[in-house]
This record gives sequence, structure tokens and C-alpha cells, in this order.
Amino acid sequence: MKNKVIEKLAAHRELGPLLLLIILGLVFYSLSPAFLSVLNITNMIEFIPEIGIIALGMTLLLTGGEFDLSVGALFGFTPVLMFILKNEGFMGIEMAFFVVIAIAALIGFTNGILVTKIGISSFLVTIGMQLVVRGTGLYISEGFPQSSWQAKTPLKSALAYSIDFPGSYFKIIVSLFWFIGMAALAYYVLNKTRFGNWIKATGGNEKAARARGINTDSVKIILFMTTAVLAGFAGIIDAFRIGSAYPVSGTGYELEVIAMTVIGGTSLFGGRGTVIGTILGVLLLRTIRNGIVVVGVPGLAYNIFVGIAILSMMGVHAYLEKQSGGGS
Amino acid sequence: MLSKARFLGVFLLVVGLTALLVAPAAIGADDKPTFYWISHGSSGDPIWIFALRGAKQAAKDLNVNLKSSFHQNDISTHQEAFKSAIAAGADGIASSSPDQGVLQDEVAMAKERGIPVVFFNADDPTTGRDAYVGADNVEVGKSWANYLVNNDLVEEGDFVWMPVEVPGATYQREETRGISSVFDPLGIEYDVFDAKYDPVQSLQNMKNYLSSHKKKVDAIIGLGDMVMGNIKETFEAAGVEPGDIPVVGWGNSAETAKEVMDGYVQAATWQYPQSQGYMPIALLNMAHQGKPIGYDIVTVALYEKENAESYYELAQQ
Repeated sequence: MKNKVIEKLAAHRELGPLLLLIILGLVFYSLSPAFLSVLNITNMIEFIPEIGIIALGMTLLLTGGEFDLSVGALFGFTPVLMFILKNEGFMGIEMAFFVVIAIAALIGFTNGILVTKIGISSFLVTIGMQLVVRGTGLYISEGFPQSSWQAKTPLKSALAYSIDFPGSYFKIIVSLFWFIGMAALAYYVLNKTRFGNWIKATGGNEKAARARGINTDSVKIILFMTTAVLAGFAGIIDAFRIGSAYPVSGTGYELEVIAMTVIGGTSLFGGRGTVIGTILGVLLLRTIRNGIVVVGVPGLAYNIFVGIAILSMMGVHAYLEKQSGGGS
Repeated sequence: MLSKARFLGVFLLVVGLTALLVAPAAIGADDKPTFYWISHGSSGDPIWIFALRGAKQAAKDLNVNLKSSFHQNDISTHQEAFKSAIAAGADGIASSSPDQGVLQDEVAMAKERGIPVVFFNADDPTTGRDAYVGADNVEVGKSWANYLVNNDLVEEGDFVWMPVEVPGATYQREETRGISSVFDPLGIEYDVFDAKYDPVQSLQNMKNYLSSHKKKVDAIIGLGDMVMGNIKETFEAAGVEPGDIPVVGWGNSAETAKEVMDGYVQAATWQYPQSQGYMPIALLNMAHQGKPIGYDIVTVALYEKENAESYYELAQQ
């Protein structure tokens, strides 16, 4: 007879990363109380929305049975192009925003077409697209960051306005609300809509989904476009927040985002996804990244922690999979 | 089938490994001053390894705690680490500048709390940091371009090939800015080449390029240490004799120093990376003791064949 705790964990995969998050939080706090200081919490939540928004797109795409290795390049490229369009006088910043978001959608569409209609694996398509996008960003910018655009505009305020609390170091960047809103939307789509069922069916068993009349190609193309748009959107938020757009921004984010998503409980093989788990995965890896700096783990040991977290959560998921009798 | 105990063991393993890794840092939490050393570079880059070694040596010599991190040119995480150091109550922060202006708020926040800040390797004086240790990459770029021009190694209409490991990285941009300020008015053409960061790839890409473009290339400026270390093998693969194509660039490795000694490279710049690790910690310790540190320390020297041997020996230490 299976233990009730195990059954509960198997049914709610988010509990694993949540437990790990709590344990690590306590460990970091016990070693350095500054870990939970107002300044450090503010510090952590500044960057979480940006990486989190990319992870939401990746969660949907992974659930649909594909992944995208070009998100990091899009994160860097989209704001660079937006600022070039503005700085070179082609158009205003608001129009440039919509143009580059449309271009990100087009890149996602291209990925989707190549994967579904030509039949190339998403690994090869998106790694190729990563090189194309990254290279284009470097070429059009000649490697230089696009000068920060400091003027206050409604767009900048809408994406990266900082809400300060007088007399305190606590502040909230409005991107946090975008992340929360998008997470709620992604949760709703994945769990409460017919399209969410199509995503899970497409990722779980594509042939069976097709037999049930689901246009799996369209589902995947929409997911690739969504992922690309979210990556570009997150890059624009980041550029507004830090004040400049860098063509090399987002390097390596694709693997970090996939790790966050999978740690949260989304299957790498499709069919099962959890938005709440992804949020916990994002919090977990960001907590690790932040905590080891606060505590003072040697810089060269930085990645060991991330690796341990990924391996341990994979171990937990594999174990729960066996216990619940499911396949991976 | 796995037991519940084994399942829980996974979590205990995580906690155990966490404790194992952070224990040295926790044990170091004594009354000694604690300085943070934050690099925007890569933990795999030889120059940063040298620099970190210097910082560690300073911590040992001065009996202070050192906490270090690398951020692979990622500005967001660099900013986060800087603020984390402030939140953790650092006694001083040594940081490289990922780019101009991006650490303004962070330095201001540190100063507000009385935390001294020393920049190293890449500077941003507009932040109001207390001191800087390292080279001025724009000036270094100018010095390479001027070396080629002043020694009649390039002239109007010539083409200079400029391989680099990470196009778009701060050092490449600043060096190129300095080079362009010399070459542009003289009508000398140049092109930054993406050699890639992986040692094997960078060597292969450079061999491929030079083999097919050697007639076009009048001079080479290596914008990074890895590409400079590839010059000898690249020349051999492309059938270029030492000295046929003049080369200048960074020279912070034993490989490049040897290339200078053997005539493959005409001049190289040594930037004393270990000092870029050591001196910021020494300055922070002085500031912690109430001594003023409002001055910069330049750690650059251009060396040629005549004095390359001493740098070769230095690089091998």
C-alpha cells in the first residue's frame, strides 16, 4: 500500500519543488539572515518576472511536446531591434514595440512551420534559429548595446515602472504584475479551456490527438509563436528596466528556463504541464542563484548548486512517476 | 520499489550538499571584514581565473573574508549580485563594470550605506565608485591601432582582421571604439570576427578564415586572450610565416608571450590580471580601516620581443 504522503506528492507535483524551495530558503536564511532582508527580497523579485515570463511560454510549449532553444536569443534581439528602429528614426517607440513583437511572432511561426510541416526536430530548428537571431542582433547592432532610452513614455511605465515605497528599500517593478497576470492566463488556458486540452493531448500522444480531430500542427505553431512573443516581451521589459538593450543578453537562458520548467513538474516529453510548478521552479532557481551570492559560496562553485537542484528534482519526479505507475 | 525513507533521503541529500558547499562561507562568518568580488566575466576565462586567484591571495594575506561570483556578461544577474552583497552587509564591494551606466543605482545604494566600492578590469567612473584597478580598454584599443600605424605596419586602404571570442562583450566594444578612433580618420578598414568562445572552435574558425583570406589581411588585432593564443597555429595552418602579417593584441597568457618571443606577434598587452584581483581587495581593506582610496591604479604594459621573456615567466606562475 502506497504511503499517503507519496500519493499526495505524486498527485501534486508542485509540492516537491515547494518543499525544496522552503528547505533551501531556511538553509540560506540560517546562514545569512540578510537573505530575507527587504533589500534582498526586492532584489530577487526584480528579475523573476522577466525569466518567469519566458518560462511560462516554455511550459506551454513543453506540454505540447516541443521546446525552443531560441528564446534566449530572442530575449536579446527583440529589444535591440526595437531601440534601433527608434534611435535610427524609423518610427516611434510604441510602434517599434508592436513591430518587434510581430517579428518575434513571425520567428515563432517559422519555427512552428519548420517543425510541423517540414518535419525537422524542434531541437535542430530552434538551435538554428538561435544562431540566426543572435547573429542578426550582433550584426545590426555591430555588437554595441543600443543606447538607453531614458525618456519616460507610457510604454516604459507600463512595462518597467518602479513603484517605490518611501523610507524603505522595498520596491516593485510593474513587470511583476505582468508576470502574475500572464501566469494566471497561462494557468487558465492550460487547465480550463479546450485549447489547454488540445495542448496536453498533442504533447501526450500526437497521433491519438489527431485521430480525435485536433489540428496538432496548428496547436504547435501557436505555441511556438506564443513562446517567441513572450521571450521578446520579457527582453523588452529587461531592457527598459536596466536602461539598455544588449545583443548578447539572454545567453544561456534557454537551458535555465527549461530547467526551471522541468524542475516545476512539467514533463520534458510533453503531455503534462504545470504553471504553478513552473512558478515554483523559477523561484527555486532564482533563490539558489541569489542565495549562494548572499551566503558566499565560491564563484567557481556557482553551477554545482543549480546542478544539484535539477538532479534532485529529476530524481524526485522519476520516483513519483514509478510510484504512480506512469511513464515519463 | 523505493521506500519512503529513500524518497525523503533525496531532500536530506540536497540539504547535506547545500550545507557542505556553504559551510566554508558560514564558518567564515566571523568578525573579519567581508568583501564581495563580483566579475561580469566567465568563470572559464583564464584572465578571470588569474584575477580571482589574486583576490583570494589578497584575502589570505590581509586576513579578510572573500565572497566571489561570476556573471558571464549577464547584466541582470550582475546587478542582483551587487545588491545581494549590499543586503548581506558587505564591508566593501569590488566589481567589474558590465557596461557604462548599468551599476549607477547599485553603487549609489552602496555609498548611501557607507560601503566602499572599487571597480576592476572594466571601469565606469560615472557611477562615483571610489577607485579603479585595471586597464582602460578604449585606450588599449587605441594603443594597438597606434602601434600598427606608428610602425608603418598599416596604411590607408589596408584591412585589419580583428578576431574575438565574444562579439558584443564589453571589452570588444570598448577596444573597437579605441581602434576606430585611430583607423577611421586614416581610411584603414577593419572587421570584428566571431571566433567563438570554445577553444577548439575558435582555433578552427581562425584557421578557416585566414586560410581563405590571407591575401586580404594586412594586419591582425586580437581582441581577446584566447584568439591571441591561437595565432601560431593559425599561421601554420594558413601557411603564413612569422612576421608576414603583423599582429598586436592582448598578451595575458604564456602562449601569447611565447608567440611574441618567436616573432608571430609583434606586440602584446599584459594587464596584470592577478593585480586586478589583488589590488581591489587591498584598497577595500584600506577603506575599511578608514584610509582614503580615491585614486586609480593602471595595470597595463605593452611588451615586445625584447622583454617578452619576463612576461612568459610571469604567465607560467
